[in-house]
Amino acid sequence: MDILLSGQLLLATLVLGSVYALVAMGLNLIYGTMRLLNVAHGELVMIGAYVAFWAFTWANISPLISLFAAMALTAGLGWATYRFLVRGMLASGQVMQRIEANSLLIFFGLSIILQNLVSLAFTANERAYAYLDQVVRFGDISIGADRLVILAISLAVSLAAILFFRYSMTGLAMRALIEQREAAALVGIERDRVSQLVFVLGFALAGLAGALISMTEQISPFSGFPFTIAAFVVIILGGLGNLYGGLIGAFLLAAIEVYGVALTSSAYRSILVYGVFIAVLLWRPQGLLGGKRLS
Amino acid sequence: MKSRSNWTRRLALTAALALPLAWTAGVQAAEPVKIGYAIAQTGPFAPIADSQIKAYQLWAKQIEEQGGLDVAGEKRPIEFVVYDDQSDFGKIPGIYEKLITDDEVDLLLAPWGTPFHFAVAGVLERYSFPMVGNTAASVQLRDLAPGNIWFPTSAIPDRIAEELVKLLEAEGVTSVAVNTLQLPFSQEVKTFLIPALQKAGIEILVDEEYAPGTRDMTATLTMIKRTQPDGILALAYPPDAITYMNQARELDVTAPVQLILIGPSASFFRDMFGADLDGVMTVGHWSPQKSDWAKAKPFYDAYVAMHGERPDYLDSALAYTSLEILQQAVAKVGLDKDKLRETIAGETFDTINGPVRFDGVENAETPTMLLQIQGDNLEIVWPPGEATQPVKEKAPWSQ
Repeated sequence: MDILLSGQLLLATLVLGSVYALVAMGLNLIYGTMRLLNVAHGELVMIGAYVAFWAFTWANISPLISLFAAMALTAGLGWATYRFLVRGMLASGQVMQRIEANSLLIFFGLSIILQNLVSLAFTANERAYAYLDQVVRFGDISIGADRLVILAISLAVSLAAILFFRYSMTGLAMRALIEQREAAALVGIERDRVSQLVFVLGFALAGLAGALISMTEQISPFSGFPFTIAAFVVIILGGLGNLYGGLIGAFLLAAIEVYGVALTSSAYRSILVYGVFIAVLLWRPQGLLGGKRLS
Repeated sequence: MKSRSNWTRRLALTAALALPLAWTAGVQAAEPVKIGYAIAQTGPFAPIADSQIKAYQLWAKQIEEQGGLDVAGEKRPIEFVVYDDQSDFGKIPGIYEKLITDDEVDLLLAPWGTPFHFAVAGVLERYSFPMVGNTAASVQLRDLAPGNIWFPTSAIPDRIAEELVKLLEAEGVTSVAVNTLQLPFSQEVKTFLIPALQKAGIEILVDEEYAPGTRDMTATLTMIKRTQPDGILALAYPPDAITYMNQARELDVTAPVQLILIGPSASFFRDMFGADLDGVMTVGHWSPQKSDWAKAKPFYDAYVAMHGERPDYLDSALAYTSLEILQQAVAKVGLDKDKLRETIAGETFDTINGPVRFDGVENAETPTMLLQIQGDNLEIVWPPGEATQPVKEKAPWSQ
């Protein structure tokens, strides 16, 4: 049982939770503001990872620099997706349920197109590189420098996001759109402009997550899907559209994976994760913080 | 009239000139040999199947450079008919049936993976169409009726377990930790490994399993570190093998013998871990370092030259071996299915993996081997009679 008090487990939980939080944040933003189910979210993570991989392999550019290129590329994709695929659908006056269903189909198609475009461009081969792979020690606790950097950047971005949504006008406008989409327009919020910005920001966050994850995992055109699943579990646990809930969901999922396994056995990981997931949904179908959006 | 007469004469002259040309062209351009296969080009297995596709592509390029495929003495061009099975083995029977009946291919190549081979076996049986398999490994392969499918692999789970325990005994290993992914191949290896370890008197200090998608092994590796086994047997696939490598290094989990079931033989794995892989063992039965297999190194060099990366020592090597077997059989007896079946079943073939001969569906010639990364090479270290290098201890993790 003394293993439960180990700082190593706590650090492992923080690293895993911060990755889940970063991956889920962009997905949550888009769902929260527009009720659009972006099942192509993992593919944006994958594209961010490819940008970092090729920048490092071809030009020896650090992923800590190329992550800006990854964010720019995926942000551009977000802009294009909103302008050409989503905007018309939102403006068509369809009922929200139909928009959710249609967005699922649109993003499913986008997911397949992105997977296959990357596969055509670079083959389906798995790729990986080593960067910042030395081990850092703090007393009895040790961690790879790459994972430590991922933790630091993910926590910094999460903190920046909290401050952005609490104090900036644009962030407040996004929150208004999440909480009261119709009423937001009445108080002068340009829904179209804010929605576009949400797409750009949500996609860029996915690209950032991908660039960071590429330091520790192998990538392929089809490696994005598990991140889509993880992100959906996180945001459903926390409460769809609730950004704070997403953060709690991410660290809860990580704690279940790390401490749950330590208490029982790694064989029970899936049972524990999905058991808690189902239990939360039975207890609070709206998620842990669902219904208390962002406040 | 004069004009018409001139036209008639011109047409007759043109036809007279064209006919011999057409006849010559007909003789020179022999009908292509149609070769069909389906493989995962999209979906979760596409990244793993890529090294098999690249072996097929290399072979096709070499055949073209040789002026065509030798079909019982006649050189003919080849034409691939390829379908994407979308990583869904449920689609395989329909695709292979289409290849045989609709596309009317002359030869078939194997899809990627064990369940895909099982899925195609029934179709081969129904149409009596022989095919040399490659990237499949399970004791259940032996349950398939021999005659239309053969497997050049010697990495069968029961044999892997047997040879691995022999290696552990030879290295003086008295205790191990076993960490197993919950997927069929790794589970099958474990099924045979645990009793073999117990029979050999090797103490199992940790015996854990984990589900696919596991992203953290801190708890299990901490437990392994505390028990200090002589050997760590990570029965893993590439994604979790990466997690094992990253976190074992972080936690400085040391043991003189460390084996990862699948992963280290893939090209990207060495790009990621470099010197940290020195001394890590894996499953496989091919290496370009094997000097008495004359074709092994040329295959390695040609693959690297064409694709700019190392072949997978299991999948690429097995895929190319299956093509060599088919090529040699076709050169001897042509495309007749009965003669091909008889030849593949009865002959010994000279391949990049040394001589290969089948007994039933299994390769009866190639021993089950274990590989170890030593420096920049993947060496055969077991059994001693086949070894390209002796076993060495796992080097300390870089810190």
